[in-house]
Amino acid sequence: MSNETVYLLMPEIILVLMATLIYLGGAFLPSRPGWSWLAAAAIILAGVALYQQGTTPAVQAALENGLLSGPLAIDLFSATLRWSILGVGLVFVMLAARTSEQGESSEFMGSLLAIVAGVMLVAVAGDLVTIFVGLELISIPTYVILFLGRGANLLEAGTKYFFLSILSSALLLYGFSFLYGATGSTSLGEIRQALATARPDGPEMAAFARLALILIFAGLGFRLTIVPFHFYAPDVYQGTTNPNAGLLAVVPKVAGLVALVRITFVAMPGFERLGWQLSLALAIVTMTLGNLLALWQGNVRRLMAYSSIAHAGYMLIGLAVGFAVARGAGEANHFDGVGATFFYLLAYAAATAGTFAALTYLSSAKRPINTVDELAGLAQHHPKTAAAIALFMFSLTGLPPLAGFWGKFFLFTGALGVDAKSPDSSNLWPWFLALAVVGAVNAAISAAYYLRIVAAMYFRPPLVTPDARGGSGAAWAMAVCALLVLSIGFSPGPPLERSNRAARAARATFSQGSTAPAEPAAAVPRPARPSAQAQNRQRALAIPSRGPVELP
Amino acid sequence: MKVLVSMPTLLVATLFMPLVGALLIGVSARRGQASIRQSALVTALFTLGMTAVLLWNYDASAPSYAAVSFPWLGPSSGIDIQFAVGLDGLSLWLFGLASLLLVTCVLVSWEAIVERPATFYGLLLLLGSGMLGVFAARDIILFYICFEFTLIPLFLLIGIWGSEDRRYAAAKFFVYTLAGSLLTFLGLLAIVLWDYNHSGSGVMTFSIPALTEGLSHHPIAAPYQLWIFLALFAGFAIKVPLFPLHTWLPLAHTQAPTAGSVILAGILLKIGTYGFARFSIPMLADATATCTPWLLGLSVVGILYGALVALAQTDMKRLIAYSSVSHLGYCMLGLFALTGLSLQGGVLQMINHGLSTGGLFAVVGMIYERYHTREIRQLGGLSFRTPVLAFFFVLFALSSIGLPGLNGFAGEFLILIGMFQRAWTAAPAPLMLAYQSMAVLATFGVVLGAWYMLYLIQRVFFGPLKEADHAPGEPPVRDLSPREVAALAPLVVFILWIGLHPQFFLARMQPTLEPLARQAAQILRDGHRQDNPVLAGQPSLPSGGPTRVE
Repeated sequence: MSNETVYLLMPEIILVLMATLIYLGGAFLPSRPGWSWLAAAAIILAGVALYQQGTTPAVQAALENGLLSGPLAIDLFSATLRWSILGVGLVFVMLAARTSEQGESSEFMGSLLAIVAGVMLVAVAGDLVTIFVGLELISIPTYVILFLGRGANLLEAGTKYFFLSILSSALLLYGFSFLYGATGSTSLGEIRQALATARPDGPEMAAFARLALILIFAGLGFRLTIVPFHFYAPDVYQGTTNPNAGLLAVVPKVAGLVALVRITFVAMPGFERLGWQLSLALAIVTMTLGNLLALWQGNVRRLMAYSSIAHAGYMLIGLAVGFAVARGAGEANHFDGVGATFFYLLAYAAATAGTFAALTYLSSAKRPINTVDELAGLAQHHPKTAAAIALFMFSLTGLPPLAGFWGKFFLFTGALGVDAKSPDSSNLWPWFLALAVVGAVNAAISAAYYLRIVAAMYFRPPLVTPDARGGSGAAWAMAVCALLVLSIGFSPGPPLERSNRAARAARATFSQGSTAPAEPAAAVPRPARPSAQAQNRQRALAIPSRGPVELP
Repeated sequence: MKVLVSMPTLLVATLFMPLVGALLIGVSARRGQASIRQSALVTALFTLGMTAVLLWNYDASAPSYAAVSFPWLGPSSGIDIQFAVGLDGLSLWLFGLASLLLVTCVLVSWEAIVERPATFYGLLLLLGSGMLGVFAARDIILFYICFEFTLIPLFLLIGIWGSEDRRYAAAKFFVYTLAGSLLTFLGLLAIVLWDYNHSGSGVMTFSIPALTEGLSHHPIAAPYQLWIFLALFAGFAIKVPLFPLHTWLPLAHTQAPTAGSVILAGILLKIGTYGFARFSIPMLADATATCTPWLLGLSVVGILYGALVALAQTDMKRLIAYSSVSHLGYCMLGLFALTGLSLQGGVLQMINHGLSTGGLFAVVGMIYERYHTREIRQLGGLSFRTPVLAFFFVLFALSSIGLPGLNGFAGEFLILIGMFQRAWTAAPAPLMLAYQSMAVLATFGVVLGAWYMLYLIQRVFFGPLKEADHAPGEPPVRDLSPREVAALAPLVVFILWIGLHPQFFLARMQPTLEPLARQAAQILRDGHRQDNPVLAGQPSLPSGGPTRVE
């Protein structure tokens, strides 16, 4: 690891250091509200470091053209996601500021920072090992968070999550090992290069890579709650607290989707066919099952768990479109699907985090909000919170003019447009038409259970009055999310533009090697490889424009 | 009338007026009921006034009146979505009707809404902005946004202020409509994508005039057209509602508060027929030709079925709801008979139905406020107790029946003339007999309409006085107050105006409907050429066709 890498990872390092500090400090000064302020400060500090990085010419050039530095990939994609996840982190610090005061504030906040650092690491990773480290940096603090409080329910949720998470990590590693076996490298750039060049003459390699693709989908499917790796979510969400459930509904999805796009979409050319088939089938099953099962839920967190499963299915629509469009075609165009997926992720994250912020705000330590019935009549005693929850529900349903509508709009436009953009259009369009229709019907089904919440709040007389002791932080988090849902709804252009550019950049960064004339790579020392082709690959990967990053 | 602002500015201001009013009511929700409803009334009156100025200055010669657009999602993302609004002959009167009924709705809710008035009037005004936007939109996305946006306020209006079974009714209304409209959305997207792939401009335009224009140069291939037509059909036919998809309507109508029923019958149902006239017929000519016999068949079944079921109702609101199914069947018949006369009649009938049925629901609401029942059996002889109310009800009922001199006659007459013309002179040869029998059967609908309406009037307003829930000692029920007369009188003015001088209204529609009629003539010709074996038989109902959405 060179100085350059350390410098580029500064925001993550700051977060982990601060997390350690908070963990340690918590042992001596327990139960202090100050820890959430410190966590917020850490995130802001990391933001400052990230901003400062962005001002250096080398990184600025990287944001334009992409830069592979050791195990890292610096480009618009990673930058966009690092900024977004810092924002998400700040929302969750606010959301949990009061609830975490009651016991293990320092442990919660420290774990939260580590999780944020983990997602950022996944976003910036250009190497399988780094991705895996990032994912584990998310998982392990998540176990801690789930065990905090030590109630009987929490124990069940934590244990369930722990074992299934381990299983998914194992599947993922298994997939990585096949990928390494097929290509002889863990670097995404080299994997891409190897798969792109050596495909025709190596059938066993193709079989390995195919297996790897499936296993990686399985391993990351757990984070994304894709059916059939979803079954932990309802139990775990139900068994844990509102802030934790919100965290689980948003953060692992971001990490899982980023890793999935980086590995399968970007680094595995030639396997787009399997990619779209897999994504399309999983999308249909996941959407439908998630939405249908959500219809019968009375527990809010369980309902939101199935809702989050259904939305994972929607995100796969974009990925399927991305695979289908990228297949054979050169660079992706405006409606490449992957950009739409990230836009959808943003809309989903805002509404879901907002919902859990509202639930947290309405809860108290003794009486958390658990069931839909407890929300009955909310519009009468908490009209603003009720209006915000209604807003989130309508956005999740996909009603205009809210953020969720545009998310579905871009996804469906992509799916219906596969026909014209894909090289072998004639046999793809019925599949994607079916996908779009299933998506549309699912949106209508989902309306039924989202409306149940709205109907409970507005149409029914109050059963109980919630304590509403979630603290002003949660209220602010809710307000920020509501504002986001509305403003994206009224002005979807900038975020769409940004996510499309980011999605294009994700691919462009790694395809530079094949287009640019090769020059010897010097800046980053690499471990020696046994294979004879290694030198070849390394040469192809080198980026001529790259100079040493100027350290201030 | 000379005005200082330009018409496009005025149109945008009119669209946002109810929205601003709703927000103002929202932020000042703590004030009393009196001041809230006054603000709502002022907002609605301002909207109506601005609409009147707009409509008065309408220039029928221009292809699009008061058109203005602002870029929304710029071409840089490859999409060109605009906030584009404007009026033409098709939307003009519907736009005016929406403004007019908004005032009526505020006035009929004046005393009835005591609980949470700020929320009620806020939602009502939001609904107003949505309705106006649907008709003014010249961009598909803006249209769809307004189309869907009308769902949320009405869902809450039904669910909070409705009758006993309101929660089920609200949910059924919402999910049913949403399921259809999402498929419609896919259909609209498919239209846009076809244009994008074949126009060669490289920018995906969502502008309705541009798409209509573009698709006339490179029409969609026939098999796709049929699917797209069916997708659009799913949403619009549920909204209308066309015969087998109507089951949500009586429930929603019965449970909705008076204002909700008025808006639902007056405006929201028209969005379906408007959608057919705006998108399906001009953009999907081939599919329209293919589906015409089926749609006509469904319309006729709807006319007769709605009328027969209305005859059997014991609840006044339910009766009027089923009469809506019947009347909207006429609108569809007019549109899909596809002659110049029937198109005019169809569009005029949309306005007529809004005036007469909106009025009927308003009066039933007034009766309900007095007697707390809608059961026909519990009432009788009300013309003795409340002569003014009875006058208005009878007038609206006669307008709905189609008494010559009132508006309903003008619309139904044009529709039937057009349908007969089509059946006897321009029907595709193998279907001649089917068309002719449909035309005759549709005429029977008028007779049935007179039957159920007059029977209702006879039972409720004449005969011995029967007053539900009214102890002998109580002071007698009062007749209409000036406020209630003010709510109904404007509708009467237009009922008479359209009835006595329909040319004023038709002349302003004419230039827009003419190209549609010309194209329809072409469809008729194409229909002749088509030897589709599917169409050879008697058009029967597609039982459980692909567009049935639960």
